[in-house]
Amino acid sequence: MAGHLARRIGQYLLVLVVLVMLNFLIPRLAPGDPIDFLLPPEVASGVTEEQRERVMARFGFDDPVHVQFWNYANGVARGDFLTSVRYGRPVTEVVLERLPWTLLIVLSAVLVSTVVGTVAGFRSAWRRGRATDVGTLSFVMFLDSLPPFFVGLLLILVFSVWLGLFPVFGALPSVPSTGVAFFADVAIRAALPTATLTIAALGFIYLTARSAMVSELGEDYVMVASAKGLPDGAIRRHAQRNALLPVWTAAMLNVAVLSGATTVVETVFAYPGLGRLVYDAVIARDYPVLQGAFFFLALMVLAANIIADLAYPLLDPRVRRPRPAS
Amino acid sequence: MPRSPLVVLCLALLLAVALVAPAAGQDDEQTTVRVAFNAFENNITPFTLTMQGLPVTHDLVHLVYDALFWSQAREEPEPWLAESAEPNDDFTEWTVTIRDGVTWHDGEPLTAEDVAFTYDYNLEVEHPGRYGHHVHQIPPYSHSEVVDDTTVTLVFDEPAPTFTAVPGGDLPIIPRHIWEGIDNPDEATDIEPVGSGPFEVVDIVPDQQYVLEANTDYFMGAPLVDRLELPIVPQPTAAFAALRAGQVDAVDVGVPPELVDQLRDDDDIEVIESTRFESVHLHFNMTEGPLSDPALRRAIRLAMDRQAIVDGVLLGEGEPGRDGWLHPEVHWADPDDTSTFDLEAAEELLDEAGYDERNDEGIRLGPDGEPLSFTVLVAAVQPLHQRAMDIAAQQVAAAGIQLTPEAIEPATLAQRRRGGEFDAFVTNLEAHAHGDPDTFYFFFGPGIEGTFFGGFDDEEFNAATLEASQITDFDERRDAIHELQSMFAEQSPAIVLYYPTGSYAHRPAAYDGWIGDPGHGTFTKRSFLAEYAAVDADEVAADDDPGAEEPVALPDDVQEAAEGAPWGLIALIVGLLAAIGIAVALTRRDRADDVTGA
Repeated sequence: MAGHLARRIGQYLLVLVVLVMLNFLIPRLAPGDPIDFLLPPEVASGVTEEQRERVMARFGFDDPVHVQFWNYANGVARGDFLTSVRYGRPVTEVVLERLPWTLLIVLSAVLVSTVVGTVAGFRSAWRRGRATDVGTLSFVMFLDSLPPFFVGLLLILVFSVWLGLFPVFGALPSVPSTGVAFFADVAIRAALPTATLTIAALGFIYLTARSAMVSELGEDYVMVASAKGLPDGAIRRHAQRNALLPVWTAAMLNVAVLSGATTVVETVFAYPGLGRLVYDAVIARDYPVLQGAFFFLALMVLAANIIADLAYPLLDPRVRRPRPAS
Repeated sequence: MPRSPLVVLCLALLLAVALVAPAAGQDDEQTTVRVAFNAFENNITPFTLTMQGLPVTHDLVHLVYDALFWSQAREEPEPWLAESAEPNDDFTEWTVTIRDGVTWHDGEPLTAEDVAFTYDYNLEVEHPGRYGHHVHQIPPYSHSEVVDDTTVTLVFDEPAPTFTAVPGGDLPIIPRHIWEGIDNPDEATDIEPVGSGPFEVVDIVPDQQYVLEANTDYFMGAPLVDRLELPIVPQPTAAFAALRAGQVDAVDVGVPPELVDQLRDDDDIEVIESTRFESVHLHFNMTEGPLSDPALRRAIRLAMDRQAIVDGVLLGEGEPGRDGWLHPEVHWADPDDTSTFDLEAAEELLDEAGYDERNDEGIRLGPDGEPLSFTVLVAAVQPLHQRAMDIAAQQVAAAGIQLTPEAIEPATLAQRRRGGEFDAFVTNLEAHAHGDPDTFYFFFGPGIEGTFFGGFDDEEFNAATLEASQITDFDERRDAIHELQSMFAEQSPAIVLYYPTGSYAHRPAAYDGWIGDPGHGTFTKRSFLAEYAAVDADEVAADDDPGAEEPVALPDDVQEAAEGAPWGLIALIVGLLAAIGIAVALTRRDRADDVTGA
């Protein structure tokens, strides 16, 4: 067990190192640079080469690439991601301001989609081929095929414009509130972004749950239980427990999938999370922010993976059992 | 009757929504106006803006700060912070008398020293942004001489005949006591934006909201709105959805053409037309190749039916581009300038210029025997630009010239413009360009180097722009600009596709003082001042609800709330996830015991 853990942690560290390097490289491979964002020609028509160089120097973009990488890697080690081009503030500060909002909607969506998707998936599997199964399956596949951007706009139209139930934008109320009212304000503002992400995540969970359950129901022990005359409820309970493992994996994978989807969803809802930060930073070629934001997003995804890994033995005795000596 | 867990869950969710929903509908007192603002502009100082919200950014800046005159987009800028400004004989010196008794938001007096400092500082730090370049580029500012507390002489190296417009009506005056000693103003993203304008910034939540409060000591009278909340909503779709849902009282940017009718039909919403002198145009790479031939460029312009573009893309909400560049409503523009569409003339011109041979596909051949086929780069974030260019390309194809629009990401577009790696591209400008008498100098004359605007470099045109910038008599200056317009039409270094109509929407129930200020739209300082706004000051005062709940919170509170914000909820969700996990694990444990026990 300890050996397994050490090996896994080693693997994750390796992934982290590769990630830190890609983080530096990929934004710089894209054409364009932050200066054209800071000094767009429409705004400052006569930007001289000297002024450009001065701004480059301010962010250290004029250093040779290896020096830039060294500064960056050094910063990462200290948890310092240099200064944002767009905000002119330390990246760590900017990113940490946004992180909780993304965590809030992503984790909520993972929670809701897992519960709903699992319940619906197990149900579908139990009634495989019947009208409810086909109906649910088609409906979930339909939802899954909608792009999150479109779902977001649709939810705004229906729930905000027509029904007037939810705010269209933002994470915080305009007028500060406290206590319970504050939580209600935050929750209501998180509702539509969370719903959008939930819809984006639902299909995966549902299909995983359904197929896992279907294959469990085909196992011998189910036939035995059924032959013994066990009530349906008892048979389902047995099968469901065994079908949960792939669902758990899918739920944790969804943390990664949804972290990516936040870029679009947070932009639609003007939600101040990491996704929108990344979107704006890409437009601005804000390398330091991209480095920082991707680093934290990647940490989130890695953390979900580690948790998934560590939880397997708890969830499934087969994983926990010592390997038979050969 | 199916009693599925799904149905139960849905019902439970609906119930939860119904319970929490009323909290979202809570509205504010009458003198609070909430306007969706399209971009986060850092701490709103002239040096730290992100400029993502242009052209509205400029009006936000001028809610917090004042210039000597208002505004750059007017024929005769109105004295604002200045009481008057007198030039010397050759317009190289302007003696400005400023209002007495004006104070900064922090209570310090605003004196001639601050005005002198602002000009000197912009020159000294050579800030290349939106404001500074009018001080260190043209007119070339030299130095200041402070005469007394309210009088200062600003000295230029060359005549500055339109000083009261640019920079006088443009450059925000900044407080010396704040900025003195700051060597790198672009890094001052943490200082408080102290201005003298009608509104004071009381809270900034990055990427979420600005809160401004009335400067009750304002020298033009206290603004009619006590509190301005500016939630940051970058997507126009979301902003106008919020307006329709009553979650904001106005939107800072113009209504997209497809929404105009819908909003006009809404009884709770009023739409005001007011132009920001915006334009969308096609620029050519004129450094080499066939497009360096003015005849070819002119023919492309003649082959474009720009009225059809306005009808098809803007649904009529705009004006077709004029041949001579300037927005037709700008006071410098030649009233006789037209939007010529003449396919026959275009074909004739092309035949005469030697483009009379065609390939199998009917595309004309250039002097090198290559077909006249060009790629037009369009920013992928500008759907209207793309649609306009699609139509324009079809029109020009009729004359035997192939234009292929290519949508690319903005930063890539910027890089290719800088590097000259393009045949043509589409971009847009606003009042700051069209209202500026030196616009030809800045975009097509000696004021610009490189290929950012196509690399147009015509000796005669360059000389004419320089000459025009020195003319001190207003009428003569205007005549010279009209002459530049016809030279421009002849050369066609760029083709204006259209000028969008500015349509701005608000909910009159919340505030109906909005006015259209030419060059500024409605979200601009004069919409909030009794002397100009569309409402009576008395009426607004009567509307003031004395029983209204105290809206003000210290910025720190909000900041703290923002930082501590959703952790509680996150903990709750993590807790739920963990609880589920533990529950599952426990049931598994039982089973595991069964297995090992068996």
